Amino acid sequence: MHMAYADFPYLSSILLSCVGGLLIILFIPKDKKDTIKWVSAVCSGITLLISVYLFFAYDKSQGGLQFVEKFQWIPSLGITYFNGADGFGLPMLLLTGIVFFTAVLTMWELQTRVKEFFALLFLLVSGVFGLFMSMDLFFIFVWYDVSLFPMYLLIAVWGSTRKEYAAMKLTLYLLAGSALILPAIIYLVVKSGFNTFDLVALMHPGTFSPFQQKFAFLLLYIGFGILAGVWPFHTWSPVGHVAAPTAVSMIHAGVLMKIGAFGVLRVAILLCPEGWQYWAHLMALLAVVGIVYGVFVGLSQTDLKFVIGYSSVSHMGIVGLGLATVTVEGLNGAVFQMFAHGVMTALFFSSVGYIYDRTHTKNIADLGGLSRIMPVATGYFIVAALTGIGVPCLASFWAELTVFISSFKVYPVYGTLAVCALVVSALFILRVVQRTCYGPKNDRFAHLEDVSFQLGIPRMILVSVIVIFGLFPNVMLDMIQTASIPFVNGLP
Amino acid sequence: MMSWIIFSPEFYFLMVGTVFLGLSMTRRVRPEQVYFIALILASVGVGVCLACVRLVGDLFLGTYRVDLFSQVFKVMLSMGLFLVVCLCTELDGIEERLHPEFYFLLTICTLSMMMLVSSVHLLTIFVALELSSYSLYTLVFLRKGRDRGIDAGIKYFLIGASASAMMLFGFALLYGSIQAAYLVEILKILPGVINRPVVIIALILLLSGFFFKLAVFPFHFWVPDVYEGAANQVTTYIATASKVAAIAILMRIIALSGPGSTYLVHILVTLSIVSMTIGNLAAVVQKDLKRLLAYSSIAHAGYVLIGILSMNPAGYSGAIFYALSLLMMKFTCFLVVIKVADDGRNLDVEHLAGLHRRSPILAMALMLSLFGLAGIPPTIGFTGKLLIFTAAMQKGYFTLVLIAMINVVISLYYYLLVVKAAYLLEPGKELPDLKVSPSIKVLAGLLIFGMVVGGIFPNYIIELSKAAAIVLL
Repeated sequence: MHMAYADFPYLSSILLSCVGGLLIILFIPKDKKDTIKWVSAVCSGITLLISVYLFFAYDKSQGGLQFVEKFQWIPSLGITYFNGADGFGLPMLLLTGIVFFTAVLTMWELQTRVKEFFALLFLLVSGVFGLFMSMDLFFIFVWYDVSLFPMYLLIAVWGSTRKEYAAMKLTLYLLAGSALILPAIIYLVVKSGFNTFDLVALMHPGTFSPFQQKFAFLLLYIGFGILAGVWPFHTWSPVGHVAAPTAVSMIHAGVLMKIGAFGVLRVAILLCPEGWQYWAHLMALLAVVGIVYGVFVGLSQTDLKFVIGYSSVSHMGIVGLGLATVTVEGLNGAVFQMFAHGVMTALFFSSVGYIYDRTHTKNIADLGGLSRIMPVATGYFIVAALTGIGVPCLASFWAELTVFISSFKVYPVYGTLAVCALVVSALFILRVVQRTCYGPKNDRFAHLEDVSFQLGIPRMILVSVIVIFGLFPNVMLDMIQTASIPFVNGLP
Repeated sequence: MMSWIIFSPEFYFLMVGTVFLGLSMTRRVRPEQVYFIALILASVGVGVCLACVRLVGDLFLGTYRVDLFSQVFKVMLSMGLFLVVCLCTELDGIEERLHPEFYFLLTICTLSMMMLVSSVHLLTIFVALELSSYSLYTLVFLRKGRDRGIDAGIKYFLIGASASAMMLFGFALLYGSIQAAYLVEILKILPGVINRPVVIIALILLLSGFFFKLAVFPFHFWVPDVYEGAANQVTTYIATASKVAAIAILMRIIALSGPGSTYLVHILVTLSIVSMTIGNLAAVVQKDLKRLLAYSSIAHAGYVLIGILSMNPAGYSGAIFYALSLLMMKFTCFLVVIKVADDGRNLDVEHLAGLHRRSPILAMALMLSLFGLAGIPPTIGFTGKLLIFTAAMQKGYFTLVLIAMINVVISLYYYLLVVKAAYLLEPGKELPDLKVSPSIKVLAGLLIFGMVVGGIFPNYIIELSKAAAIVLL
């Protein structure tokens, strides 16, 4: 694989601005809430700028790993600090930058325990960034766990609707996933005989026997799959989304679930390609069940956030279906869908969060006629809903299209089922839009204000990203192809 | 004459013990003064042990070995003593007139554990082990409000005495079958005869004494009651320093069996799995924080055993690393227990309510140490588990590692309940902020720093424990 070392530690700077932001926040007195928010905004803004820069500075003609930073960390165990960005990682870094920055801005009105909230948020996001850029199995696992355990407090302290139950369920489910990942990682490292956690070294073809690949792939797939919301391990996810505060829902559904799918791609698929081909059919089956199940359970929900939570399960199923096709288009579509879905759900949760903050209800039956009271807020909600349905010229459309085309070729039955489910999902999301936004004006909410310009900024950013990548999908697809084409062509 | 320098840590602690013996007879010194003397002497003790780390030699006709392995453990033991003494500002669980005796027994116990980690002859092992056990029995009895301490003390003593008896029987059988009592000689003979039934039985009986110390199933019954019944500081000592010594001596003995017999390994695997499962499952329903930590100690005994039963250098060094991480993490938990229960009472989990406001630094230290115990990166507890699991995987014990990881998830549940109590629950009535002295804040800060840095930059400690483990083989 082509590797280009970085002339400047861009990737570490992203991590540094997260960790640095965390440390600065820890030393600010807790009464100075505005200072804390400004520090958070500046630090998260820096991560966004760097990730945008990296996305466009990546040399697509060269491909491979770029901006590489590598040095020994624990030599006796073969652990290296090894960061790099490729066509799979860069879209995810960009996504994290966007969602993180907008999530911080969305929480501008927070008043309770501000210092702890932003400190934990920064810890969580450093884990997410670290995982997307790391090329060392040890660090991938460490970042995975670092991004998970702040979730417990973030949901349990600032959440709503059965928050303690949801926080505990989520943490135990995800840590159960890591209980499968760690043995699998150690198993692979020990069996390779190289005494190294270096992913690139372990990717060397012929390192693992077919049996070892099948065995480790299954463990890794289930372990990371729990976080990716793969059916039947998804039950933590809607409950968690509903209970979490707005910014955490955004990061959680927008970015954290992608960690799971990205882990399957980066660790399981890249290390165990034969295991991938062996289990692909199972992956496709679970993915399609997830798509159909998410849509039909979503139909019967009365809580606005539950609707989005189940639509997430369904959309993450599309990612799984793309990964299961074992084709270039499938991988392209899956990674694009991760990106598009991330931005889309962030917008979804941020607009629902605004509605909930004002009306104090998420119950669809209680809402109605909101478009007359807060046209801008509902506008954002409708854009998110349309993206979720897959309306052309919005980012999700291209992602879903790519996945479906490739899945029709490989699994015609599953592909048909998934497309049918998507039609039903259009039905149920439009129904939700109709019930909440239109209809007679509700006097109970007549006094409420619309989104102010300042609070609108994060939502505008998200909408513009959705539209830009909907109009110019090639920017993203060309990027992903630099990684997916060499990988799939190199398969045995 | 020069050779006696290698005995200096033991000399030093013998001298400290004599000082407290003298103080206990005069009864003219106020408790604060005794505390101050103890603090100074214990901190110098850490220095003495650190200064002697690189010494090597044999003493007492070769029954006493000073090497890197023993010296590393002596540093840990003296650190354990020092940390426990740091917590004795409010020694309310023990009557004031008994304070000098308390420090005396603590010092003697540390001294005997230091001798234990250096012993390389069956007799010295037995003598040192008994000396430390008897000091601990007495320490448990010292708890104010007699009933509780005596109840726990008697239970501790009875189980301990029967474990000692079994161990002695094991020594006798072993000596009878291979006519050797020096560990060096046993090391030569044992691998050849390891599959003889009598040797296996001898080894198992012999190990039971150490299993008792480490709280491995089926010798774990004393742990919850003793933890609950003893004064908080004594519990801290049992949970930290005493466990470290038990890990050390267990490694010395298991290392004797060389590549190991499959029978022995199977037995150890079973004990390890049962210990961690019982410990974790029982901890889930505990209300008293000390009982919860007791059951988590049983579970951790199971994890450490994984490293030891791997019987390879990686496993032994992993267990040494784990011992150090356990010392720090368990100590941090008890630091919080002692400071929150400032009148020496026992502490229920729900009494931690509102801790995040009453003392943010203690709450943070508690959270980090619990996450460390659960093995979540980037804490030192994760690195320890990674080392141990890697060693077991090298031996192909995949199922064992998987079971251990499932146990980790179970344990996370009750650790999270404690974190929840500290960060989420609000006390029924308004409680004032905790009075935490600046020195305790610094100590808590150092422990937080140590647990995180030990997780992120563990390289030096790993190298040190590797060097120490090589001595064993």
